[in-house]
Amino acid sequence: MSSTQAGRPAAEQAPAVSWRFLVRPRWLGWHLAMVVAVAGMLALGWWQFRRAEEGNALSWAYTFEWPIFAVFAVVFWAKTIRDEFSPPDTDPAGTELAAVARLDGSAGLGEGQEAGQAEPEDEDLAAYNAYLARLQDQVKNHGRWHGLR
Amino acid sequence: MDAAVRRYRVMAYITGTVLIVLCFVGIPLQVAAGNDVIVNDVGTLHGILYIIYLVTAYLLARRLRLSIGPTILMLAAGTIPVLTFVVERWVTRKYINPARQGQQAGQAAPTARAG
Repeated sequence: MSSTQAGRPAAEQAPAVSWRFLVRPRWLGWHLAMVVAVAGMLALGWWQFRRAEEGNALSWAYTFEWPIFAVFAVVFWAKTIRDEFSPPDTDPAGTELAAVARLDGSAGLGEGQEAGQAEPEDEDLAAYNAYLARLQDQVKNHGRWHGLR
Repeated sequence: MDAAVRRYRVMAYITGTVLIVLCFVGIPLQVAAGNDVIVNDVGTLHGILYIIYLVTAYLLARRLRLSIGPTILMLAAGTIPVLTFVVERWVTRKYINPARQGQQAGQAAPTARAG
């Protein structure tokens, strides 16, 4: 194991999110559940198709419905895995907010040091800190798709 | 996000209502009176509505960044009578309202800094 890792260029070992989480037991369980679910949906669709051919009119609707559910399950699964590779923490809005916060924080500090004034600036600062605290609370719930990793 | 929430809610209420009619009117009629009309028509209708519900619920779940458990619960709720309404209230209380508050805080901040 270590010899193969040593042989690889550093850049290849670098990615923060590896595909390896996909073969962990918990994920294998989910993969299995998905395969069974999709196979089951397709089987149900086929069963409804046979019933429809036998003259059950209602079954025609389900003949088309079950494959749609199967497709939906596959899309759901693919998107879930893709979300794991591109964590929501790195979404553009989040980075932008973080950048704004950094910029503003440094600018505010500079002004405060320069002027040495107290009252109105502090109110602003308190309001801004409250805003940062709210942001922090908000961000706490992000990345919940990682619950499985 | 408001549009996604609205679409989800509309579909949740419509799908939930149709499913209640199907289960508490249609199936008793079929079993007791041998009348298949409601089960056939409303059953097909619920099937179509549920597909739309799936899409709206899934889009909202992604927007709210729910984990797999709550997402699957939201999606499955459209197939179990009454649960649609319960889950809609639960999602609103637990996820939609906090997300809205976060959004408002994010919008309020720039003016607070400017003033």
